[in-house]
Amino acid sequence: MPEQHSSAIDPADVKFLRVSEKLVTARFIERGIVGLILLALTSVPLILRLTDVWGGYPAWLGWGLPAVIAISIVWEMILIPRQVRAIGYAERNDDLLIRSGIMFHRVMVVPYGRMQYVDVTMGPLERMLGLSTIHLHTASPGTNALINGLPAGEAARLREQLSARGEAKLAGL
Amino acid sequence: MSEQPFTTDAPESWHRVHPVSPLVRGWVAVVAVLFIFGRNSLETLFSSSLGNSGPGPGGAPAVLVLAVVGAAVVIFGVSFFLQWRFTRYQVTDEHVHINSGVIFRQQRRARIDRVQAIDVVQPLVARAFGLAELKFEVADGGKSAMKLSFLKLAEAKRLRAAILARAAGVVIDPQAPQHIQEAPETHILALKPARIFGAAIFSSTTVFALIVVVASIVALEWTGHPGILVAAIPIFIGIGAQYWKTITGDFNFRVAVSPDGVRLHYGMLETRAQTIPPGRVQAVGISQGPIWRPFGWYRVHVNVAGYGSDVSEGGSRTVMLPVGTLDEVMAVLGLVFPNPGVENPFEVFAAGLQGPGNAQGFVHSPRSARWIDPLAWRYNAFRATDTALLCRHGRFFRRLQVVPHERTQSLVLAQGPLMAALGLVNFELHSTVGPIRPVVHHMALAAGRALFDEQAARAATARRIHNSERWLAPSDTAASSQLDLSKEQQRGD
Repeated sequence: MPEQHSSAIDPADVKFLRVSEKLVTARFIERGIVGLILLALTSVPLILRLTDVWGGYPAWLGWGLPAVIAISIVWEMILIPRQVRAIGYAERNDDLLIRSGIMFHRVMVVPYGRMQYVDVTMGPLERMLGLSTIHLHTASPGTNALINGLPAGEAARLREQLSARGEAKLAGL
Repeated sequence: MSEQPFTTDAPESWHRVHPVSPLVRGWVAVVAVLFIFGRNSLETLFSSSLGNSGPGPGGAPAVLVLAVVGAAVVIFGVSFFLQWRFTRYQVTDEHVHINSGVIFRQQRRARIDRVQAIDVVQPLVARAFGLAELKFEVADGGKSAMKLSFLKLAEAKRLRAAILARAAGVVIDPQAPQHIQEAPETHILALKPARIFGAAIFSSTTVFALIVVVASIVALEWTGHPGILVAAIPIFIGIGAQYWKTITGDFNFRVAVSPDGVRLHYGMLETRAQTIPPGRVQAVGISQGPIWRPFGWYRVHVNVAGYGSDVSEGGSRTVMLPVGTLDEVMAVLGLVFPNPGVENPFEVFAAGLQGPGNAQGFVHSPRSARWIDPLAWRYNAFRATDTALLCRHGRFFRRLQVVPHERTQSLVLAQGPLMAALGLVNFELHSTVGPIRPVVHHMALAAGRALFDEQAARAATARRIHNSERWLAPSDTAASSQLDLSKEQQRGD
C-alpha cells in the first residue's frame, strides 16, 4: 500500500485512517462514464465534418474540443489514486478529523458534541464494491463532513461510534 | 400586564386565537374582492341611473351583483370561521402545542427549552385591532417558526413571559407553581430618527440612485429623446421603496435587556419586539462601509439558529443594531457577550474594527499574502480571547466577526496550490445558518495550524463549561462542569 499523501496543514501527531482502495475503482468507473459521454458529445461535430455533412465546421475546433476533453479525462484518472489516498479520518477524544485533497488541501474537525445526525449512504456502484459514504451533519450548513469509500463494516462501526460519542458529549447548539 | 400572572395550561385545556385573526391575515383578499365587485356594481348603478332603459346588455343585473357579493361574504365568513375554529394552542410546562388546518390538519409541538428566540410582531392592521403575532423560533435554520396569529397584545406578552420563564428554568414558587411574572426590562439605547434618516441617506441605495441619475442624464444627452427618462421611472420607484423600507423598518429602534434576554423593538408601521435569550447568539458581525467611515457608524448582525438567513423577512431580524456609534456597538456587544475574555475589551474591539496592523494582540496575514491581497493583507487578522474568536476583514468594507468558543460547530483549515506556494492557509469556522460566516483569510501556515489545534481544544473546554441551556436555572453549572472535567480526566487517565 503506497504511503499516504501528507500536506503542510495536517495536525501534528495524528494517525489518519485511510479509506478503501476500492474507491479508486469506483471513481474510475464513475468519472470514466461521465468523461466518455462528454467525449462522445463533443465529437459529434467532428464526425459530421469528416462525413461531409457539416463541412463548414472549423477543423481546429473539431479536433481541439475532444482533445481537451480527452486530456482532462486522462489528467483526472492520473489524479484519482492520489486523491483517494489523500482522504483520511481520525477519531480523537473530542472530535473527528477529516482530511482530503492533494492540491487543495482541507482538514476539518467536527466535535462529537456538535453532531446533529449521521447519514450512511450507498449508491449502486458503491454497493457492488461493498463501500459506503458517511456524512456528518451539524447545525451549520458549512460543515461538509463527508467520508467516501468506507468499507461497509467500517462505516457501520464508525456510525455507531459517532452516535455513542455524540450522545456522551451532547451539547446544545 | 404584569399584574395578571400567566398560568401554564393543563394538558386538557386549549385556547383559541382572537376571532378577528383570519380577517387581519386575509384582509387583502377581502378588500380586493370588495373592490372588484364594488366597482362593478357601482358602474352598473351608474349606467342604470344614467342609462335610459335599465341595465344594458353588458351590465349584470343588480340582483346578480348582490348575490355574488353575498356569496363572497358567506364563503369568506365560513372559511374564516373554520380557520379560527380549528386553530388551537396550548402552553404546558414543557411544550408549546399548536393545532391548525381545516382539511390538512397539522399538530405542532415544540420543546420550550429549545426556544431560540421569541418575536412579538404587530402588522399595521393588527395594531389597529390591538392584536399581535407571537413567533416561537426553534433551531431549524429559520424554515418554519411556530406562529400564533393573532392574540391580544397583552396575552402575547404574557405568553412570551411564560415561555421564557419556563425556558430559563426560573425557580417557581411552590405555593403558586403556575404563576409567572413578566421579567422587567432595562432600557439600553434608542436610535433617534435623525440617525435612521442619515443612515438611509448615506447608504449604498443613494450611491445606486446617483449612478442611475448620472446614467439617465448621459443617456438624455446622447439620444436627445426625453422619452428615455421613462425607462428610469421604475428604477426610481424601486429606490424610493428601498428608502421607505429602510426608514420605516428601522424607525424607533430600541435595545433593552431583561433577565429573559436581549429585547429589540423597532418599526414605524409594523412594529416588532424580538427577544433573544442569553446564549442563543451564535455569532456577531460588525460591519462598516466606506460611506459610514466619516460618521463612525457600524451595523451589527447576529446569527441566531431560529432566524436562519432570514430571507423571507428581508434580513431585518438578524440585525441587532442597524446603525450605531462605536460606543453603542460596544453596549450591544456587552449584552450579547457579557464576558469578552479580555481586560480591555473596548480597545481590543476597536482595534478589531479599525485595523490595520497587529495592535491589541491581533495577528494579520504575513507579508507573502500581499501577492494575493495587496490592499487588505494588513487588515485581515484574528485574535482569540479567552471566550471568543475575533476575525477582522477588509480595508474598505470593514468587518469584524465574533464567535464565542462554545458556539463553534466545526473548523476547517484549507489551502490551495497558490496559497501553499506562499505559505498561507485559510481558517474557516462554521456557525449556524445566518448572515455571518466566520473565516480568517490567508494566515501564516504556522499560525493557522496553531489556531486550528488551539481552537478545537478551546471549543471543547468551553462546551463543557457552558452546557446549560437554562440560563436562570438554580442548578450549579460551575460545579457540574467541574464534575464533567474530572470525569474527563479520569477517562483520559
